[in-house]
Amino acid sequence: MTRPAEYPPPFDSREFVAAPSDSPDERIDVGVLIVGAGPAGLACAIRLGQLMEDDPSLAERLGEVPVAVLEKGKGVGSHLVSGAVVNPRGFRRLFRGRDVRIEDIPSFGPVQHESVYFLNSSAATRVPTPPTMKNDGNFLASLSQLSRWLAEQAEAGGAMILPETSAERLLVTGARTVGVRTGDKGRGRSGEPMPNFEPGVDVTAKVTVLAEGTQGHLTGVALDHFGLRGDNPQVWALGVKEVWKVAKPLDRVIHTLGWPLRGGRKYREFGGSFIYPMGDDMVTIGLVVGLDYRDAEVSVHDLLQELKTHRFVRKILDGGERIGWAAKTIPEGGFVALPRRLHAPGLLLTGDAAGFVNVPALKGIHYAVETGRLAAEAAVEALRPGRTPWTPGALASYDRSVRDTYVWNDLKRVRNMRQAFANGLVLGGAMASGAIATFGKFPPGNRPTEPDAEVELIRPKRSAKYPAPDGKLTFDKLSSVYLSGNKTRDDAPNHIRVRTDVPEELGLLWERMCPAQVYEVKEDGGETTVEVTASNCVQCGAITAKGGRLTPPEGGSGPEYTLT
Amino acid sequence: MTTLVFLEHHEGELLKPSLGVLSKAAELGGDVAGVVLGSGVRDLAAKAGAYGAAKVYVADAPELEQPLSQPRVDALAKLVSEQGFDSVLFAASVLAADVASGLSARLGAGLNWDLTDLVQQDGSLIGKRPALGDSVYVDVGWSSEPRLALIRAGTFDPKETGGEAQVEDFDVQFEDFSLAATMLEQAHAESEGPSIEDADVIVAGGRGLGAPENFKLVEELAQALGGAVAATRAVVDSGWYPYATQVGQTGKTVSPKLYIACGISGAIQHKVGMQSSGVIVAINKDPNAPIFEFCDFGVVGDLNDIVPKLTELVRQRKS
Repeated sequence: MTRPAEYPPPFDSREFVAAPSDSPDERIDVGVLIVGAGPAGLACAIRLGQLMEDDPSLAERLGEVPVAVLEKGKGVGSHLVSGAVVNPRGFRRLFRGRDVRIEDIPSFGPVQHESVYFLNSSAATRVPTPPTMKNDGNFLASLSQLSRWLAEQAEAGGAMILPETSAERLLVTGARTVGVRTGDKGRGRSGEPMPNFEPGVDVTAKVTVLAEGTQGHLTGVALDHFGLRGDNPQVWALGVKEVWKVAKPLDRVIHTLGWPLRGGRKYREFGGSFIYPMGDDMVTIGLVVGLDYRDAEVSVHDLLQELKTHRFVRKILDGGERIGWAAKTIPEGGFVALPRRLHAPGLLLTGDAAGFVNVPALKGIHYAVETGRLAAEAAVEALRPGRTPWTPGALASYDRSVRDTYVWNDLKRVRNMRQAFANGLVLGGAMASGAIATFGKFPPGNRPTEPDAEVELIRPKRSAKYPAPDGKLTFDKLSSVYLSGNKTRDDAPNHIRVRTDVPEELGLLWERMCPAQVYEVKEDGGETTVEVTASNCVQCGAITAKGGRLTPPEGGSGPEYTLT
Repeated sequence: MTTLVFLEHHEGELLKPSLGVLSKAAELGGDVAGVVLGSGVRDLAAKAGAYGAAKVYVADAPELEQPLSQPRVDALAKLVSEQGFDSVLFAASVLAADVASGLSARLGAGLNWDLTDLVQQDGSLIGKRPALGDSVYVDVGWSSEPRLALIRAGTFDPKETGGEAQVEDFDVQFEDFSLAATMLEQAHAESEGPSIEDADVIVAGGRGLGAPENFKLVEELAQALGGAVAATRAVVDSGWYPYATQVGQTGKTVSPKLYIACGISGAIQHKVGMQSSGVIVAINKDPNAPIFEFCDFGVVGDLNDIVPKLTELVRQRKS
């Protein structure tokens, strides 16, 4: 039985840690450097803007560019994907006492009704909504849209946002993080500089905040380099979603469990779907599956296509048209997989990158906003006159403040629920219910997680059952990649580290798992090789969970999501 | 309406896409003039009359010999300001896009690009522009004059109407900064037959060919038809054929009269580069290939049998 972890990628995180190499004149020096313009990074930038407004001397201490945000996507929101039902709590705290009301945030309004259904192949049975999944007071949004609005707020507060800029290396001198080096642009397929070659630059900062989101590249590097990994490995789920223009409005938020996922313990298929209204004329539908699944032929992309053929779902989409598509991983390890510490000298970890996601509640945006806000405050605290963020423990107030918030308590309560589902849906559901009823006291202790890449593969020939794409209701992967707006140039260097000489089973796992048709198994005289079409990649991060490693591609490449 | 059309030329010939735009301008009506910029190009100007230009302006200067944009911006800025054209049209090319954007900045004029049609609507000029991956067309207008427009190459066919143009020379004062760039070297990709952008016939090969050496079948058919050879991203990626021939989202956009797709599944990434072709013929052994949903003629079968026979038939007919 093959385990993906037996074929580790040619990747060493030391390659991505370096001292600054540009001369001091050539470096870009900023006050606080934030990597990633998602909800965590932008909340951090907004909070820094507020603190500078309250205390103008702070801006002076931070220098000419007090706050900079690097974003690898073409623009803010280009790489952001979520459901999204947003808990407004994080925003309420971020904008408390400020001139912004929650109603000003771009949204599709509050959740009005919600239902959970259990599906089998022919029927949908309504089941009670689990307490963790209740959405009273939450609102519906597109995270991509919402973040573009947050970016405007951050810029108004004095932050400089640099899109099309990937953060490739962590700049470290001694034990201090002093910034990042951005990725080169304009290299050819084999790394050679082309006529439009632009080398990366050292961006140095007093404090570097990593807000890279799921599968953060430098976050992974920092966890290794500073020994910050928690007791348990992080695990992930892969979510694939579509946005549909629909003929009739959907009046409720819907979640489904069961079909097309299999409940049996040997499959370990944990997940479910979401169907949310986006105003009166759009609906988003997505399927999320834990990457600890075993069947090498599971394809979340194709399972979503299959889900849409269910009578119950088809009714909602009837007469509609697919107008958006996206894929992204979600960190699911929760409390037990959080880093040991959320800081190192000069460095702070926030949001999804650090693993702040509440799986039973299907939420993490408010945690991203909260941790981003607290990171800003900790950075400023460490920059008070006479202090320096580079001494050990100087940023420890961040860990303390995160532990004092609802973020920590929420996650602690539900800490064992995700792991329970390794036992299949029935037993897992029972254990999860126990955890809810006892506010997390049962089961006691911390249940360990197992790395997704350590799961042994099986091959029960599932893929024959996926529906053939008809171009109307069901689609092939390449059409989906096209709809993601991805037009990465074909001669860019390959940013995916993966072994290509692997057993057929593992190649097949990647081929089926990848929602963007990046991997293809080739048979040549009994030898299996994996062909990689890196320009299709939408940077969802699944390969990093299952035996490969993404590195940052050229800034500005990848998908260009707008509605997700 | 007074319209000026930028007439691009190469190796002593006016380029077809420029003449196509000229024909379209003539069809829309009003006073239509062309402009030819270069060195030793006066003879070319007269030829534009046959495609609908009443007048052709010529700036003939050594500074305009090389295909650099800024000296051309100087020339056009002067001509447009002096003659008061209310529309300036370009057929898109690397040079034309550069010149159009430079002119837009110089004159503070609005530029609409990637247009696939121009219409007169209630007395104003409206452009059609594909958006969202060519899935919808939006109407674009201009809020001021002159109106600058870049038309997607191959959109309009040149129509010979047999008129004659009055040729008028004009002088250009070049700005110092316009002469700062010099051309060091020009290289041409070696290829036989027409390039895929101007070919009337394209025979394209995809992964269904099975092996790089099978491109020979495609080349032979293209040669028999006097057309060019194109390729899909998959085969270019695998190194079977050069990138210059890649058609699709991340390659070239073409619209020949006839497009023969051999062993091409028709993924959307390829489709967007060739869907505006006149007649699309698909040869593929997979009856479920998406290309059969948008081709005009489809043949389900083994291209190793079909393509050589087709080549043979074409040769017989021709001889």
